[in-house]
Formats: sequence, C-alpha cells, structure tokens
Amino acid sequence: MIFISILIPVFTGLILLLSPEWKNRKLLCAFTTAALLLSVSAVGITLSVTGDKEAVTLFNLTQSLPILFKIDGVGRFFAVLTGAVWVLAAIYSFVYMGHEQKEKCYYGFYLLSYAVLIGLDFSGNLITFYLFYELMSLLTLPLVLHSETKEATMAGLKYLFFSLAGAYMVLFGLFILNRFGNTLTFTAGGVLDLTLIQGKEGLLLAAAFLMLLGFGVKAGMFPLHAWLPTAHPVAPAPASGVLSGIIVKCGILGVVRTVYYLFGVGFLRGTWVQQVWLVLILLTVLLGSMMAYREKVLKKRLAYSTVSQVAYILFGLAMMQPGSFVGAFLHIGAHAFMKCGLFLIAGVIIFKTGRTKVDELAGIGREMPVTMVCYTLLSLSLIGIPPFAGFVSKWYLGMGSVLAEAPVFDVLGPAVLLVSALLTAGYLLPLSIRGFLPGEETAGIKVEKQEPSMLMLVPILILTILITIGGLFPDQIIEFVSRIVGTLFKEVLGG
Amino acid sequence: MAFIQNFPFFSIIISLFSGAISSILNGRAARVLNRIVIIVVAVLSAVTLFYTWGTGTSYVFWMGHFPAPFGNEIRAGVLEAGMAVFFCLVMLLSLWGGREHLEEEIEGSKQNYYYILTNLLLCSLLALLYTNDLFTAYVFVEINTISACGLIMIRQNGRTIEAAVRYMIMSLLGSGMLLMGLCMLYDLTGHLLMSNIQEAVAILHASGEYKIPLTVTIGLMTVGLAIKSALFPFHTWVPDAYGYSTASSAAILSSLVSKGYIFLLIKIIYRVIGFETFHDTKIVNVLFVFGLAGMIFGSLSAIKEDDIRRMIAFSSVAQIGYIYMGIGMGTRAGMVAAIFHIFSHAATKALLFIAGVGLTDASGDNVRFIPLTGAAYRNKIAGVAFAAGSLSMVGMPLLSGFISKLLFAQAAVQNQGKLLPALIVLALSTILNAIYFIKTVIRIYTPVQSDFAGRRIKTQVLFAVSSVLLVVLNLYLGCMSQFLVDLIEKGLGMFA
Repeated sequence: MIFISILIPVFTGLILLLSPEWKNRKLLCAFTTAALLLSVSAVGITLSVTGDKEAVTLFNLTQSLPILFKIDGVGRFFAVLTGAVWVLAAIYSFVYMGHEQKEKCYYGFYLLSYAVLIGLDFSGNLITFYLFYELMSLLTLPLVLHSETKEATMAGLKYLFFSLAGAYMVLFGLFILNRFGNTLTFTAGGVLDLTLIQGKEGLLLAAAFLMLLGFGVKAGMFPLHAWLPTAHPVAPAPASGVLSGIIVKCGILGVVRTVYYLFGVGFLRGTWVQQVWLVLILLTVLLGSMMAYREKVLKKRLAYSTVSQVAYILFGLAMMQPGSFVGAFLHIGAHAFMKCGLFLIAGVIIFKTGRTKVDELAGIGREMPVTMVCYTLLSLSLIGIPPFAGFVSKWYLGMGSVLAEAPVFDVLGPAVLLVSALLTAGYLLPLSIRGFLPGEETAGIKVEKQEPSMLMLVPILILTILITIGGLFPDQIIEFVSRIVGTLFKEVLGG
Repeated sequence: MAFIQNFPFFSIIISLFSGAISSILNGRAARVLNRIVIIVVAVLSAVTLFYTWGTGTSYVFWMGHFPAPFGNEIRAGVLEAGMAVFFCLVMLLSLWGGREHLEEEIEGSKQNYYYILTNLLLCSLLALLYTNDLFTAYVFVEINTISACGLIMIRQNGRTIEAAVRYMIMSLLGSGMLLMGLCMLYDLTGHLLMSNIQEAVAILHASGEYKIPLTVTIGLMTVGLAIKSALFPFHTWVPDAYGYSTASSAAILSSLVSKGYIFLLIKIIYRVIGFETFHDTKIVNVLFVFGLAGMIFGSLSAIKEDDIRRMIAFSSVAQIGYIYMGIGMGTRAGMVAAIFHIFSHAATKALLFIAGVGLTDASGDNVRFIPLTGAAYRNKIAGVAFAAGSLSMVGMPLLSGFISKLLFAQAAVQNQGKLLPALIVLALSTILNAIYFIKTVIRIYTPVQSDFAGRRIKTQVLFAVSSVLLVVLNLYLGCMSQFLVDLIEKGLGMFA
C-alpha cells in the first residue's frame, strides 16, 4: 500500500512530463486533479490500514542498509498535512497558472514532489530519508525555476547549492551514525550504541550539530537561511505557498528525526549542541521578523516571516520538553496552513492587480474584501491572537519553554517569542489597516470589485476556516501529538 | 586440472591474435571481429568467475606447464575474473556508444588500426589482471601504453598528436620507474614471480635487512604506477588526452586503462610486497595525502573548465584521487571501497563521456558551454544519461557513486587518524562535484532558442542502447551493491 501511494503520483507526474504538449487546458487540470485525489486517497487508505509497527523493506542498498518504509505518528501527521495543503494549492493553481507558461511541466513536477514528500514522511530509516530528501531538493527545483528568468535561475541555483550543502552535512552525520549506532532505523529515544560511543562523545555531538545545521538549511535557520527569501518569491504563488508551507517543514521533519529518533533527547539535552542551536534559533526568530518588517515586497516579506516562524517550531523542538514539543507540532500544522494561505493571497493580489509592493496596496480591502478579510484573520493567527490556531500553538511553545529546565533560555526564549510576535503584528497588520482604511488621499476614488474567481477563493477560505476551527477546538490534534510525545519522552516522564 | 582453468589464458591469447588478424581485415570486418572477441572474452571471464566463486579459491596456471621458476604463471581469482567481465562490458558499451563518431573522425583506411589497438589494449588489460609474474606485467604495461597512445592519436589533428606525445612522455616516465623498481626488487630477492618475491620480501622485512633499498623500491613502483594512472600531481596529460581524442577512446582510457594500472598496483601491494610490509613503509600515507589533494584540485580545475569534455576529464582526476585515498587508508575496508570505486567510476565515466558526445553532437559539435545550453532537449537520451551520470558522481542515493562514498566513509570512520581529513575532504569534494556537474545539468536543461534548436539530431540506435545500458549498470551498482562488495571481499581474501 505504501508503494502504491508513492507510485501513483510518480506515474501520473511522469505521464505529464513525458507527454507532448496538451492542447486542452481543462483536460490537463482535470487529469491533475484526478491524479492528485487518487494519490491523496491512496495515502489516506494507507494511513488507515497500516499499523505503526509494520515496516516494509523495498530492497537492501548494502547488507545493513535497507530502503525501508515505516509509518509512525510523526509520519502520519506530516502526510495528512502535506496532502491537505497540496490539494488546496493545486485547486488554486488551476486559475493562477492560467497566465503562466509551461503548465504541464509545472503540474508534472508538482505531482512528483508530492510523491517524494510522501516517501519522505514514510521513510523508516535515515538512508531512505536522505534519498527522498535529495530527490525533494532536485524535484522542487523546477518549481522555483519555473519562470525561467535570470532572477529565477539565480535563485534556483542558490536554492540548490544551499540544499546540497545541507544534505552533505546530513550525510556526514549519517556516516558517523552508521558506525556508532545500532541501526539507522528511526527509533523513538535514539539508536546510539552506548558501549561504542565511550570517549567519542565530542565527535558524535559534532555530527549531531552538523546534521541539525544541515536540516536547518531547509528550515531556513540562521546562518544558512539566505536561499529562502530569494527562492520563495520568484516561484509562482501556489509553489511558494507549498514551499513555505510544506517543503520548509521537511527540514523540521529531519530535525525531529535527528533529535528524537536517532541521537535521542537524553544524549543531546544540556550539551553545547543544544545551547548553540538555541542561540542560533533565537537569532533566526528575531532576524527573520526584523527583515520582514523592513521588506517592502509582499512575497519577500512573507518569506522572511517564514524564516522567523519556522524558527519558532525549531525552538519548540530544541527545548526538548514535552510541552514545547506539542507546541512545535501544533505550530507546524498551523504555520503550514497560515503561510500557504498568505502566499496564496499574495498571489491573488499579483494575479488581479499586478502590484507586488506593500505600499501600492492602499485600499486593496475595498477591491477584494473577502480576500482581505481572510488575510487579516490569517495574520491575526500568525501573530498569535485567540481564537486562532496560532495562539494555541504559541501558548504551548511558551508554556513548554517556561517549564523547561534550561537555564537562561527558559526566560530568554519566551521573551524573544513575544518581541517577535510584536514585530509580526508590525509587518502583517499595516497591509490590512491601509487596505481597509486607505485614508484621505484615495477617499473619493471609486473602486471596482476585483474579487478573484471561486476556484482561487475557496482554498483560501478553507485554509482560514481550518485555522479558526483549529484554534477553537484543538483538543483532537493535541491528543494526537501527545500520543507521539508519550512514546518519545517515555524516559523523561518515567524518571 | 579443469578445462575451465585454461580460460584466462585463452582470453588473453584470443585478444592478442585477433589484434594481429585485424591488420589484414578491412575496417568493417575488423569491427565485427573486435565485438566478437570482446563478447567471447566476457563470456570466458564470466565462466572463470563462476568457477572460482564455486571453488572458493584462486588457482595458478602454468603457461606451457613449466613449473616456476622457469615457466610463466598466470593466476585467476574471483576479483580478477570479475574485473575482466566488467572491463569487457564497459569496453563494449563505450565502443558502441562512440561508434558513429569513430567512423566520422577516423579515416576509412585506418579504421582497422583502431580495432587492432583496441584488441591489443584488451589483451594487455587482461594480462595485467591475470599475471602472476612481475616482468610479464611490465611487458604488458608497455603494450598497454603504446596502444593507448595509438587510441589517442588515431583521430588525426594537431591537438591529439600533442596530447599523445604528452601522454607518452609521462607514461614512459612511469614505466621507467616501474622498471627500475622491478630491477631493484629482482636484485634484492632474486625472483620475478609474485609469490616467490612475497616470501623473500617477508623475510627481508622481518630481518630488517635492506630496509632503505626496499622502501625505495616500493616507492618507485608505486609512484611509477601512480603517474600512469594520473594521480594528482601527475595528471597534466589527462585533460588533453581525454578531451581531444574520439569519444570511445576517451571513455576506454579513463574508465579502463588507468584502472588497469591501479589494479596492478593493488596486486603488487597484496601479492608482491605484502600488505603489512607496504603498510609499514608509510607510503600509504603519501598516497592518502595525494589522493586527498587530487580530489580537491581535480574538481577545482573542472570548475574552471569551459569545455565539457575537458571538464569530465578533470573530474576523472578527482575520482582517481578517491581511489588512492581508499588505498591510502591502509585498511581492508579502504581497499574494498577503492576497488568498488574502480567499478563504479568505470561505469559512470564511460557513461559521461558517451552522453557528453551525444550532447555536443546536438550542438553542432561545440564543446563549449554556451552552445550546449538546452542540448538535453535536442538529444533526450544523452540528456537523461548525462544527468544520471552527473547525479551518480555527485553521490545521489540509488546510483553507484553513493555506494562508493558510503564505503569510503565507512572505511574512514574505522580509521582513527584519517577520519577527519578523509570525511572533510570527501564532503568538500562532493560539494565541488555538485557545483560543476549540476551546473552543467541545469545548463543542458535550460531551454533556449538556439541555432541548433530546429535541427533535432536523430538518435542513433546503438548510442541509445549503450547509454541506457550504462545507466542501468549504474543503477545496478547503486541498488544491488552487495554482490559486488562480496565479490571484492572474496577476491581480496584470495589475494592474501
């Protein structure tokens, strides 16, 4: 079943890529929708019929390194999230991509990327994960390169080099772990062989740090975040939506696997790795917010905001505390929906008016009221105001870190988060304010309604509604995440 | 003695005589003969492989049934036979892939010469693999050099003649050093057969007698073979020789000829000097350092290069550096990794040369990067093949390059002193590899309105078949590496 759910998007994507130019746009869209729905339902069925314990080995790369798939809680969480965002962004694309070239190519790589992401979520060991991680870098590259301008090419190359550099840091860790671990299969609590690592702790910590940095590249962590604000804005809006919403989260997935499933919390907690990592993360939170505050181009502003928000998630993970872990996972979901929604809205604005700078958007609220209401709600959620999902996740992040036994950071962390929330308000809300209340100069001018078509609006509305529901009734999700936490922090809770 | 035991000898002699016969045939007939010979040799070697695999031991074959020290010996084990099969395979695919070019670039009346040279090359490679006698090895090293020179020069233009002369000078320097080493070894031990020398050397080493002459001897032989296999800093002949010769020659030279010498070196290390003795001389460390340097500088030169063929050639320098790094680790695991990389690099580099020539074909025979833009759309199979080869070089999982890297890293992790330099340089060189290979892949996949855009090159069937087969070979090595690793382990076991 796991293979089928990966193979469906692969085949359909390849069909799209290899087939000659499609004359009929509607047919193309219909084909993509069908393929995507088919694969999503395949994933759904897979999730429901496959137990946590089942592991499927595809084949052995070398004697001790199988390509292995396994579905656990974390994988389920990410798979569901990916599926939801992917479908919504696809619906949106059908209109948005109408004014772009080479749609067929776009959908082809869109489907392939989906397949790779599912593979990534279901990976059962580090080597499989690494395989799909590399593939993901390569297959999402065409999404960035899509417009084929010089700017896009340079951004794509930057993206590629950062990704590859990150991947090799991970590879370094892989080599070391292969030597000092019992297995490379993800195991809650870590795989380190305690007898082998005697006296080699320094080396292993260095490897862990490199892996965190390496996965941090994808997650836009300082100091290797530079690709993110360059690459996200040049992609078509739905692509930037999924890049910011999902691809960046794969870096997070890597971090979760590294910290909680390979090295183990017990090994890393309280070491210099955790401290340096936390410093970098907090720097990223602040830096991202400040850069976003200064940025004039809307999509770039959102990209910087991603840098900062994803660092929130990393912060939650880095505290290595049950509470903050729950917060991090909630924020993964919340941020995926919020940022995808915001990018889609930015896309709508570009699509309808062609304006990209924030300053040019005074009065936009009168032109497209529904869109801008969604924008405002999503922004409020991102800032962390109840009753939206962003509040719940930040609440857990804050509470978790206050309870953590990490000196300095238990105070510094929440403080930085609060300052950054303020900055978030500072860079997101002016657009709503100026949009709805443009002031004197435009008062007399009659504006025409420019609300986008239903296909574009519906995904945005759904995202907004999901965020609100998530904020009002988060119990189910929290319970689910808590179950994961239960397996991971067993030794903590017990002792 | 089983009849099968004759097969290594048969394969050497068949290829030797077919070379002679080719001289009276015309180009076409010579080509057919050449293909038949390669296939027959491949089959013979495969049978030998099965036989030795089955018996689990290697065997020594007395030429003319004269026992040592009067007779000449060849010796066949799993590793030798496996490598012979593989060499034949890669050679066949390289010749197929570059056939169209070969016929364009070489005068009609001289085409049978090409096949004479190829047959002789095959013969000398097989002899290098199988021989158990140092002097025979030296003779075939020379035959190998001369036929390789011919392969470079047969495409007649000024650059290739210059390249061939360069190759000749460097190579002869290498052979000269090998010969000197050999003479000194003969002087020290009084033997030429590998097994006899090994016993004598072990005694010398244990007693501490002739310590300095022995070290010098080992050094001379190692450096001689290193020059011939283009270890940095003796690589200056590489870019011209691989860059300007015809595609098949370039593929054969870089994937087979240099590997033949490396294999001979490994054989000398195990069968003549003895692994322990070699390790004690510290020459391993020198090889290790130069291997590392080659990995970096080869890639740096490749990045600067504006000519796709020369770029691939410089990348060979880096890959040879990997192999020497593996040898230089001085451990069994390092050696396994190095030998695996011989296989993996042979498959990948042949693929890259063949695919590269497909791309330049589709761009009006331009080797510069700007006209190559978008070439992958004009010759789709070459594009895919080149991309696959590049990804393998960069170390993408599922392709052979990744397994090599994995094995190298595993070997490095077991070796305390060399862990950090090896891993750091491995990472650095991988990133450098990525820079120039991925850059090229992106360039060939960037669609443009070029002058050649309308001129869709019709894909030649043989080219397509050989590219696809090489890609499959790469995938096979990448996915099912265990068989080969077992083979190498077993073969090394038979060496000792």
